[in-house]
Amino acid sequence: MRKHRLVSRTIATATVLTALFAAAGCAPGPSGTESASAPTSVSTDVANAGQVTLKLSDFWGGSEGEWIKSMITAFEKQYPNVTIERTQEDWGQLTSTLNLQLSDADGPDLATANNGWQSLGTLAKGNLVLNLDEYSKAYGWDSVIPSTIARQNEFTTDFKTIGSGSLFATPVARVSLIGIYYNVDKLTQLGIAPPTTLAEFEAAAQKAKDAGEIPIAYGSQDAPTAVLLGLQALYASADTINNFTYGDSSVTAAQAGLNEAAQTVKKWNDAGWFTPHHEGINYQDAVANFLDGKGVFRFEYTGSLGLTDKQQGTFKYIQLPQASGTGTVGVGAAPAAMVIASKCKHPDVAAAFLNFLMSKDAAQASADNGLIPLLHEDVTIADSMATLKTEAAGAAQISASNGFVPYFDWTSPTMLDTLNQQMQMLYAGKTTPDELVAAVDKDRTTFLEQSK
Amino acid sequence: MSHLIARATLPGGGASQARRRANHNPRRRNRRIGLAFVAVPLVFYAGVVLVPLAQSFQYSFYNWDGVSRATWVGLANYIEFFTDPVLQSTLGHVLVLILFFSLLPIVLGLLSTALITRRRLAGMAGYRFVYFLPQVLTSVVVALVFKRIYSPDGALNTLLRSVGLDALTRSWLGDFTWALPALGLIGTWGTFGFCMVLFISGVSSIPTELYEAARVDGAGPVREFFAVTLPGLRPQIAVALTLTITGALRTFDLVWVTTGGGPGTATLTPAVALYRAAFVNPQVGKAAAIGIVMALLCLVIALVIGRVSERD
Repeated sequence: MRKHRLVSRTIATATVLTALFAAAGCAPGPSGTESASAPTSVSTDVANAGQVTLKLSDFWGGSEGEWIKSMITAFEKQYPNVTIERTQEDWGQLTSTLNLQLSDADGPDLATANNGWQSLGTLAKGNLVLNLDEYSKAYGWDSVIPSTIARQNEFTTDFKTIGSGSLFATPVARVSLIGIYYNVDKLTQLGIAPPTTLAEFEAAAQKAKDAGEIPIAYGSQDAPTAVLLGLQALYASADTINNFTYGDSSVTAAQAGLNEAAQTVKKWNDAGWFTPHHEGINYQDAVANFLDGKGVFRFEYTGSLGLTDKQQGTFKYIQLPQASGTGTVGVGAAPAAMVIASKCKHPDVAAAFLNFLMSKDAAQASADNGLIPLLHEDVTIADSMATLKTEAAGAAQISASNGFVPYFDWTSPTMLDTLNQQMQMLYAGKTTPDELVAAVDKDRTTFLEQSK
Repeated sequence: MSHLIARATLPGGGASQARRRANHNPRRRNRRIGLAFVAVPLVFYAGVVLVPLAQSFQYSFYNWDGVSRATWVGLANYIEFFTDPVLQSTLGHVLVLILFFSLLPIVLGLLSTALITRRRLAGMAGYRFVYFLPQVLTSVVVALVFKRIYSPDGALNTLLRSVGLDALTRSWLGDFTWALPALGLIGTWGTFGFCMVLFISGVSSIPTELYEAARVDGAGPVREFFAVTLPGLRPQIAVALTLTITGALRTFDLVWVTTGGGPGTATLTPAVALYRAAFVNPQVGKAAAIGIVMALLCLVIALVIGRVSERD
């Protein structure tokens, strides 16, 4: 039968082709030894750089988008010889394709990357982004960026360690935190003062529950982790959590406060403090519920509630101090890691723009756009921005203790999946806090061994 | 057909002569011209299918983040797929999904075909349209609609409460036991109409004499179904099986939009695991290995179904 012969011949050809490919033996990815590209001579002179056009790809929409637009306008005004062409992409879209975009000759010169191994680490290792150490020296960035924030963008040049070594990205003069929001009206109705400690928070939640309110607006179907990570920062020192995240194998997840955090989360779940049926509520619905007044408190990433100018002041922010009572540790990071593509033809100008994004003007522009400023203290926040004032106070509180810890899921590329799954299992009674902690340790160990 | 070609060359005076004249054989020339015609599409096909297939095959033997230099790991990615408890469980989930995406719609499709085709019903076209409708809808839309229906305050729970079955209400997609069957039923709803329409068209090609003969022999509706309709629909059932089973194996959009594989890993499918490995976590080698295993499974299933349905 000819049809069959054709099929078998096609299969044979395909097999031969694949075999040839595999036998050719050339491993995917660039060949030869890796060396991170770093510019040898750097200049901070932008005005004399000639006509320069830079392409920027970022994932900022809403007020964040307004912020970056105002930054570009101001920079172009300062340096008329520079044009920055901005492309805005969806967060998931950009983070999943950035490696391809940066290897493309027509790709962006500047981009927002996600921190951690998953994105920035892979790009640095793949030699797709510049080592910024020389620019850091030239501009004196180490005196501007708090060390706990700088670590978030550092990798050793053998790419085995995150959190120390060379700078591969810069933060911007804005920060995103995890903390607690509360519904101002509800709290007033319940006659509760905004809690200032974890014990006060638990007492307030119990009181809200007794009054028939939902103490904590929550949804665990797709994004359950904010409450766990927010609590973790209350139970361990900034150094311990930082070291765990950055792969110091002498620190365990339990030492990094995860066990206590998981126990507390489970206790709250068992006490019925979360929105009923939260296992079937997705992130967006949980946020919408909270904004609709279905819930008194909510653990959330700052900037994620999407408050309008009118809503400013109807929800306020609390950054709880450590459970031990001294100092404040909080999950906080710049909303993106700004990178310069290795193939960028004008790295000096690109670096000047990164420097500009960390300037006091940039911090002031964040405050003006309702975003939490970082790196500069003397920023004025309009009185109408009542929510922002509480958020900025939280950031200042963490800054004062140099207590920024990175998002825990930067620990390994698979950590966010592991946490999501383990938390859902915790609520369903299919795992215990101890097992959750063990799973997290195992995830990290596997990753550290693989990357050796 | 090959024996026909062989015979056609015989009258010229045996095989040896035929070989000598091979270059002048008009059939061969035709074939070469034919090849010239398909060359362009063939190159295109190689570019978009064969080469990526070969690349995936190659990647599957490496530990690679998609950017930096890859390291050879041999069969480790394949071994992981069959030993990692989470990845293993995805195969179990697929079996459950095959039940809902393939077997259930086919059984329901056969049943409804048997009922519908026995008698001319008024408004048949209308029914067919309604049942076929899910097939026309974009899968993401279907997923979003069902996400609403299954949500804690969704239509399903509201319905249960209104008839006093409060005890049965739950977060359908957030429940470790019920999430997978709930997803499966969306698939059943989606493919049932397709199977039915396929079978109805198949029945119309069964000679009516067979039915008449069966009735003359005193067969009841059940006997008639098993003796005439079912054997007559064999090719259609084979098509439905192939499409729905491979569909179940590839299930991605439905899971990605509704549960993302959760709660825990209760609804994780190989396709979702593949997507995560390739595009969320930089584990291209692992993703390639999952892809190759899935492609092979699809191929084997298609071949087996083809063989079985062609057997007389």
